Amino acid sequence: MRAGVRWIRADLRARPGQALVVTLVIAGVVTALLLSATVLEGATNPWRGLFAQTRGAQIWMHLARGTDVRQLASIGGVTDVVGPYTTTAATLLQGPTQSPIELRAMTPAMPDVGRLLIRQGSWLNRAAPNGVVLEASFAQAVNATVGASLVIGGIDGPSARVRVVGIADTSDQGFYPDQTPGLVWVLPTLLRQVEPITRHTDELVGLRISDPADTSFVAQQAVAQLGGGDVREMSTWTQVEQSMARGDLLLGLLLALFGLVALGAAVLAIACVTGGRVLVQLQDLATLKTLGFTPAQIMGMVVAEHAALGLAGTAVGTVAARELTIPLLHGLPAAVLPAVAPLPGAWVILLGCGIELGVVLAVAVPGWRAGRVQPVVAVRRSPPAGRLSRLASAALLCRFPPAVVLGARAAFIRRLPAALAVGGLAVSMTLIMIGLGFVSTLDDVQQHPADIGLAAALTVGPGELNPAQASRIVYSDRDIATVYPCVSVSALLAAGTTTITTLAMGTSARPYPFHVAQGRLYHAPGEAVASQGLLDVLHLRVGELVPMQINGVPVIFRIVGRIIEPEYDGQVLAYGLDTLSQAGAAMPPVYYSLVLRGGIAPSVARAHLLARSSDRLDVAEAVDPASQLGIVQVMLNGVLGVLGLIGLSILLTASAVGLRDYLRDVGALRAMGLTPLQVMTSLVTSTTVLALIGVAVGALAGLVLSSRLVNAGAQAYGIGAGIGRPPSAAAIAIAVGAAAAAVAAAAILPACRAARMPIAAVLGP
Amino acid sequence: MIGNTRPLAAPVAGTALLRTTRLTKIFHGDGGTVHAIRGVDLSVARGEFVAVTGPSGSGKSTLLHLIGGLEPPTSGEIWLDDHRIDGLSQARWAVLRRRHIGFVFQFFNLVSNMTVADNVELPALMSGASRRQAKARREELLAELGLAGKTRAAPGRLSGGEQQRVALARALANRPSILLADEPTGNLDSSNSADVLRLLGRVHDQGQAILLVTHEARAACLADRVINLFDGMVADDAAVLPPPRSSLAAAGVVRLTG
Repeated sequence: MRAGVRWIRADLRARPGQALVVTLVIAGVVTALLLSATVLEGATNPWRGLFAQTRGAQIWMHLARGTDVRQLASIGGVTDVVGPYTTTAATLLQGPTQSPIELRAMTPAMPDVGRLLIRQGSWLNRAAPNGVVLEASFAQAVNATVGASLVIGGIDGPSARVRVVGIADTSDQGFYPDQTPGLVWVLPTLLRQVEPITRHTDELVGLRISDPADTSFVAQQAVAQLGGGDVREMSTWTQVEQSMARGDLLLGLLLALFGLVALGAAVLAIACVTGGRVLVQLQDLATLKTLGFTPAQIMGMVVAEHAALGLAGTAVGTVAARELTIPLLHGLPAAVLPAVAPLPGAWVILLGCGIELGVVLAVAVPGWRAGRVQPVVAVRRSPPAGRLSRLASAALLCRFPPAVVLGARAAFIRRLPAALAVGGLAVSMTLIMIGLGFVSTLDDVQQHPADIGLAAALTVGPGELNPAQASRIVYSDRDIATVYPCVSVSALLAAGTTTITTLAMGTSARPYPFHVAQGRLYHAPGEAVASQGLLDVLHLRVGELVPMQINGVPVIFRIVGRIIEPEYDGQVLAYGLDTLSQAGAAMPPVYYSLVLRGGIAPSVARAHLLARSSDRLDVAEAVDPASQLGIVQVMLNGVLGVLGLIGLSILLTASAVGLRDYLRDVGALRAMGLTPLQVMTSLVTSTTVLALIGVAVGALAGLVLSSRLVNAGAQAYGIGAGIGRPPSAAAIAIAVGAAAAAVAAAAILPACRAARMPIAAVLGP
Repeated sequence: MIGNTRPLAAPVAGTALLRTTRLTKIFHGDGGTVHAIRGVDLSVARGEFVAVTGPSGSGKSTLLHLIGGLEPPTSGEIWLDDHRIDGLSQARWAVLRRRHIGFVFQFFNLVSNMTVADNVELPALMSGASRRQAKARREELLAELGLAGKTRAAPGRLSGGEQQRVALARALANRPSILLADEPTGNLDSSNSADVLRLLGRVHDQGQAILLVTHEARAACLADRVINLFDGMVADDAAVLPPPRSSLAAAGVVRLTG
């Protein structure tokens, strides 16, 4: 044990550069993984980030007016009592539309616990007594922006005209409209103005507790202390968390693939670098065996050394991720990441353990090889067998530079190092190409949303107009290229147990331009297209029939194509409106999907439609894929950087191993009369020829795999195969060029040094 | 069973410490089959200094590797202190080497990434000595071999003679039952060779059994017995006569020249 520790310390002292590279590679991978997990978790579970940033309360209670809340602070586990705030139910009046809201009276001083996260504008202030702050998802749903003038009506009281001064996020309640009423924060004077009758108001109290696991217990205690009659309504953080949770398929898919790629790359890099280190240390390891180290001890030393480096890397990576989380992720759009919060400790520990396990598994094979080193290597160094091949002889006869021929030959006669170098670099390059394929896919999604089924830039509902008026405005608008009347309708499968969402979009004569990955679009009544998720759930294939009931009317669809669909959990059946009318289940269009003319921005077209309808149309912009996927691009650039570092570490190891193996031959060649320049050429050739083969093989494999991998992932997630794109030509050229330049740089410097070494030193023992 | 943590039995005068019976080693390689060792019988008594000589390719080093467990024999037996050791597993061989066999090689084979002190302390640490004990033994050995000032040096920065003395110190760190030396002066100049041979002689005088492979007659002369190997077989096994008294030698010289 002591001897092993002594050897590990000596090795780390003797080769600090290699140890540093291994540590940095692991740290980079850990950082990238933690950041991507933070984004994934933050995007799919926004409550946690919001709760952390607002210092929210876990339990919220609506109490009868006048309830004594002082006793709540004495309940065990309660650290803070938020409020009480006076609240009342009210209505937001927008023409004929009435939205239920809850007014919450708060003072201009933002509380320390149960804060609000102001997204736009400012908080309430006394200078604007009729100013209100809207909850962000509610503001989006009612199309209200800062500065907008709104009318709020009390249940029985007068209405008041208010102005929006701010838009804020909160962790108190789930997003609107999944959770109603919409939240509106006002000054107490405004609340009294809207609802002068005190008995129509409640008091809202929040409890922040030290251990979230105690929520139920504390809630029960609170109810017991207050008396059940006074508690009108109660919600806990688990309900809010569940209602906020959202499954963004595409984001989840790409980040999960990203994580797997990063982890695979890390394991590969550690295996290759360790394998190279073992090759460089063969002599010393053999000597250790003559001294009495057992194979298991040597394997244990190699594994322990790298496990220690893995731990150091994980620690550095964890700290880096903690430090970088806020600066890197804070600027992301709230639509992608409502709030950033570092990952929970348990996640970090789990990921750290996973990486450490990966490191141990990766070094187990080189470690086992090290344990099997024959001690006799220490005393008998036989050069690897290898004749001058016919190809090499022919090249020499053709007056090919002998230094290049000898270097190339030297690269291949040592098979294991050659295989490690080619394999390691090939896999890194493959992963880089796959990463570039992801980038290319994202670019395509952002520039051609129609390719993933997002052809329509705007969706318009009649709003306050009658359907005929709405239809007239939409069909006559100059910004709009095509109008597709649509209706979303639930259908009951023939088995009677499952209900699915179906979309009647366009007509059979003019179907909505879904991106068809397989088969064709619907061109006749009764034909339909389905997304992968639905096909999987129903165990159907393109070409098959599926009977359903729509509005009680049986309809049989023939599935003629598979479409790409990133929404509705990938479970969609789409067909023409004429299918419904022919089947006797005719429905008028409920909304219109609009494809704009080229060059028209969705926001401009929306403003134009609103102006023409005097703000009475209900116009929504389609989700901008760029805002959703921007973060994935940031993360991909990060992983490409890590992959580059991994490739470089493999390259440096391959260079060191090649030099060590070839040095004695070089001594003999110099003694025979090769000039230092020829020696250098020979050494550079021996290293670069393998590296370039690895790069070429990796680039080709990456090209073949990249789009297939995205498609396979998309199919598994229900989006459906067909969105994957290979890397662009420019990206391939840059990646291969950079790899070749790195290969040359890694080979030339040590070769220069070796070429200048005295012959005697090279030929010595 | 030898090879576990139990030390060998205490030396008994007159019994063979090391014994081989019909030891054979055949290499199968690209160039065909090579019979490196052909039925060698040898024995080394406790405290005895045996030199193995022979021309290049006669199998001297291979014999040493077989005896030290660096390579497995094709057939035959190896006995150390009345324990048969030729069939041990790699791990048991390792433990045996750690406790009972010291190695010195022609090219020193010091662990390149460790200092002189680390190299010498390593065997003691491996066999379970405390850091203090290992350090004390290292200081004792390096002082005896004239290397007290080189403890922090890297092996690559030492001269060949110094490196071989460090290798000798390392081999002796665990007070092995037998010291196997493979051409220890083969890579040294005459002055350093003389130093190393003098040290081997001193170690032998302290009771250390040594099996020395060499092609130098001067080195072989130090031994109690010389075994001559030829084509993998023992060609000659003879005790070295004590040196003639200096007066007689001088008289002889006078007579011849006079």
